[in-house]
Amino acid sequence: MKKEDTVKLISAEGFEFVVDKEAAMVSQTIHNMLTSPGSFAEREHGEVTFPEISTTILEKICQYFYWHLQFASGKETEFPIEPELTLELMMAANYLHT
Amino acid sequence: MGGACSRKQEQDNEDSLTRGLSRRYGKCGSLKWWTSSFSCPSVDFHLRKGECPPLLDLCIQKINEDLHLGEYDGVNDNWMGVISSQGSSLLSVDLSGSDVTDFGLTYLKDCESLISLNLNYCDQISDRGLECISGLSNLTSLSFRRNDSISAQGMSVFSGLVNLIKLDLERCPGIHGGLVHLRGLTKLESLNLKWCNCITDYDMKPLSELASLKSLEISSSKVTDFGMSFLKGLQKLALLNLEGCLVTAACLDSLAELPALSNLNLNRCNLSDNGCKKFSRLENLKVLNLGFNVVTDTCLMHLKGLTKLESLNLDSCKISDEGLVNLAGHKRLNCLELSDTEVGSNGLHHLSGLSNLQKINLSFTMVSDGGLSKLCGLSSLKSLNLDAYQITDSGLSNLKSLTGLTDLDLFGARITDFGTNYLKKFKNLRSLEICGGALTDAGVKNIKELSSLVCLNLSQNSNLTDKTLDLISGLTGLVSLNVSNSRITNAGLQHLKTLKNLRSLTLESCKVTANDMKKLKSIYLPNLVSFRPEIYNLWCAAIFLLGESEIDLIDEMGALAVLVQNR
Repeated sequence: MKKEDTVKLISAEGFEFVVDKEAAMVSQTIHNMLTSPGSFAEREHGEVTFPEISTTILEKICQYFYWHLQFASGKETEFPIEPELTLELMMAANYLHT
Repeated sequence: MGGACSRKQEQDNEDSLTRGLSRRYGKCGSLKWWTSSFSCPSVDFHLRKGECPPLLDLCIQKINEDLHLGEYDGVNDNWMGVISSQGSSLLSVDLSGSDVTDFGLTYLKDCESLISLNLNYCDQISDRGLECISGLSNLTSLSFRRNDSISAQGMSVFSGLVNLIKLDLERCPGIHGGLVHLRGLTKLESLNLKWCNCITDYDMKPLSELASLKSLEISSSKVTDFGMSFLKGLQKLALLNLEGCLVTAACLDSLAELPALSNLNLNRCNLSDNGCKKFSRLENLKVLNLGFNVVTDTCLMHLKGLTKLESLNLDSCKISDEGLVNLAGHKRLNCLELSDTEVGSNGLHHLSGLSNLQKINLSFTMVSDGGLSKLCGLSSLKSLNLDAYQITDSGLSNLKSLTGLTDLDLFGARITDFGTNYLKKFKNLRSLEICGGALTDAGVKNIKELSSLVCLNLSQNSNLTDKTLDLISGLTGLVSLNVSNSRITNAGLQHLKTLKNLRSLTLESCKVTANDMKKLKSIYLPNLVSFRPEIYNLWCAAIFLLGESEIDLIDEMGALAVLVQNR
């Protein structure tokens, strides 16, 4: 996989998740960061840092990205959400327009 | 009654203890954030097929499935409009301890999908409120603990809740005669009528038709042997709690006809050896509680054949060393309660082959230091209660091989600093109590390495100083800490800053003021939900006003407050 096809998402604690750009673009917020003209540093380095999103939540969000792609391609499974994550995940989803 | 005895009461009532704490831990202010800051109330919760749902919608849907408002401050009828606006997507509501009234319940009429409804401790709900839920026929779980207003008449709505699997009416004193309305609930599996002292034999008759019933709890009711005879046909009944009922050994005839019965609680039933022969017929029992009865070794003879037993409670029975020989063949036994019996060191010999034993309580028995050597082969042992005056350091030296121990209670044992050397190997210890008075800061040095500790009680050791708090400041897993009756001062509190998991801190009779505790909580330990000294110590006041006998009946601070006010 080429480096240009991936993007690095970094959690509040500094954990790095390397995901397909296509997957990350499921988030409207990330989509805007990576595609808008101008000089978003994120676009240049292919890295986005989320100081407000914890590692657990960011991992869940990455899982959602891939689940979303799978869903779009016709495999309609259920996306599991652990009750204890729900509130925090909701805040992050709101922020990421996901 | 001293500290030791009141502690025992708590152990008997584990349910109330854990509930009392967990109900408060459950609080999480973030739900309020959800109701106020989400400006998109019109999200369609019924997701359309084929279209990938946004994560936000999935989360909101998840939250609406389960609405737990139990124990939130200030939940009242004003909330009901918002709650009921979820309509048929609402599946579960917990309003326990709220101020919701009969009127508030009218909002729930349209939430037809409701599966679970918890209205425990909602004292403003009466028969009229019950009418509002009569149409919620999808309910499988309904809970109304401690409700003084519900009567037999109001219970008629239960007959329409045909899908009920679980019904909880604990501490509802007015329900006598109302159980007839449960007759058609053929799916009912669990019925809790604990502490409903209005329940009599007459109420048992309608239960005979509940063919799915697996669990029935009627402790502290007026049911007698005659009432038990109505239960004979219940083929699936596995759990029966008769603690404190007016039954005798004669009821064992009826119980022998319950083929699935595996869990039987006969604590405090005034049973004697008379008729105990019939216990031998209850061969499928896995759990048997016979505590606080006047049964002797004779009764134990009839338990010899119950080899499926996994748990046996003989607390305060008149049994001795000879009786224990009948338990030697109970290889599946994992829990044995022998507190306050006449069992001594010789009796332990019969238990040395119980290789599955995980928990044994030998508090207030005659077991001596030397006798403990018989326990050293019990490699499964996790919980050991040796709260007895005659146990000393040399007893601990006999336990060295029990490195799997997670709970060790040496409350009244005479353990000195030297004895704590033997504790160093117990790396798995989660709970430890040493309150014999002889411990000093030097002994605590051996405890500070026990990094698995969650509960630590070092109270009554009057020589402990602030140094102790310094030593244990690395035990960051601690949830509960008690160092009462020591020389701890306000200056020592700073060492506790690292104990971020602490929820309960007790420093009674120390040189610590309530204000300093409050400051510690607000700045460093936000998780603290229970701390002593408190500004107004309700327990002390209540014991002073009511006497101890009445305190035994009370398991909640809320009820206590009411009692104190009424006095």
